[in-house]
Amino acid sequence: MMPLESALVWTPVALSADLPAASVIPARLADAALAVWRAQDGTVSAVADRCPHRGMRLSHGFVRGEALSCIYHGWRYGKSGRCLAIPAHPALTPPETIRVATYRAAERDGIVWVTASQEAGAVPAHDGFLGLRSVTVAASPARLAASLGGTLDGSVIDGTIGGVTARLLLASSGEEGVLLVHLLIASGAADAGKIAASRALEGLRRQAETATITGEAA
Amino acid sequence: MTSPSPVLYDYILSPSCYKARLMAALAGVRLALRPVDFHPGVEHRGPELLALNPAGSIPILVAPDADGDLILTESAAILVYLASKAAPAFLGSGKPAESARIQQWLAFSARLTASLGGARLHEMLHRPGDLAGLRASGIAALRELEAALFEQRLKGEAFLVGNRPTVADIACFPYVALAPDGGVSLDAYPSIRLWMRAVRALEGFIEMPGIHRLHELKPDPHEAPATAEA
Ligand SMILES: N[C@H](CCC(=O)N[C@@H](CS)C(=O)NCC(=O)O)C(=O)O
Ligand code: FES
Repeated sequence: MMPLESALVWTPVALSADLPAASVIPARLADAALAVWRAQDGTVSAVADRCPHRGMRLSHGFVRGEALSCIYHGWRYGKSGRCLAIPAHPALTPPETIRVATYRAAERDGIVWVTASQEAGAVPAHDGFLGLRSVTVAASPARLAASLGGTLDGSVIDGTIGGVTARLLLASSGEEGVLLVHLLIASGAADAGKIAASRALEGLRRQAETATITGEAA
Repeated sequence: MTSPSPVLYDYILSPSCYKARLMAALAGVRLALRPVDFHPGVEHRGPELLALNPAGSIPILVAPDADGDLILTESAAILVYLASKAAPAFLGSGKPAESARIQQWLAFSARLTASLGGARLHEMLHRPGDLAGLRASGIAALRELEAALFEQRLKGEAFLVGNRPTVADIACFPYVALAPDGGVSLDAYPSIRLWMRAVRALEGFIEMPGIHRLHELKPDPHEAPATAEA
């Protein structure tokens, strides 16, 4: 099977709507655990989910203004990853060398994309679609595509869900055998269509996971 | 005349007891806390507490009421009692569908206690049990909650029933927030994450070990000097 993502391309990690201003969420890029955060000014940043101080998950932290703070001892990081302040030493300007590893992050079509590559080109476009929900599904891409009756192309499945034109973007959840699936639907869909698609997604997951457990051919 | 405070038989690490403490705090009701030596003393299974609650569980609320002492041993009933007394907005508008949806979530909360709570007891106190099964039913419940909260967001509503908190939210919140204690990750539930933020931001919210008030709402103790970034 083709790997779902390599660190060299853009990976969809979350939906923009699930990351409000001044908040941080956990995310996954291939084998790396990330903390993805949105500053008060709307900018999205992605960093390694490990505080350089004592290793606490930064996704358990919080955002004040334009900085991400660690929940443990409050070390504060800016968008460049640099440590800006250490509460236990308020007078100290932290040395430049204290920084958390950063990744490139971007938003398009209501999706937050991340890459570890400086060379990755334009952020993938899914014109006419909008991110609706992200869920995890314990099934393979082929099984999920078969359950949907859709077509699988790399890490994208196209089809119809709950009567709505839909596209599924697949990424790794970080857990073996479990996919992170972003459901995109036609951007003009009304609320009724969104509810239908969301409910159908639950059914699709049940079907794909049941088929996985019973070992049905994909 | 003010009647004496209701007595809560309480254990600080119990999410079910925390429901009662949280509801009381949000409703502005003062409780008299009677600490129970749940672990390692197993006081909830001793004669004094079994006389109040033969089921051998806590919380137990003993409230002086018109017809003598009212003894409640189900957290859902305790929430409804405290809200009726002091914060009826937490019972919703009273419209039939709304009242029924609140009841639906109160009953659902028992599934969270059994599954996520069971996994947590197993992990923290080494209770015997089918850990994989408890986690699986916990995940099934979280998925249901996530789907429902997503539909709430489409309606522009931040809570389980409507755009203001009700006893439904208080009943479901603690075991969900503490799911990681039982080895169940919350990473995959964006709508649950937003809902927990809304609960943790409520006026009068109180904490328990493992559950914190939204940090960014606390005053910043170390207002950093304006820092220019490299
Ligand atoms: N009576 C139910 C259940 C409460 C419950 O499960 N309480 C736990 C403590 S968090 C308990 O007392 N368990 C008894 C035991 O584990 O021995 C409620 O009030 O919601
Ligand atoms: S571990 Fe992050 S500040 Fe100490």
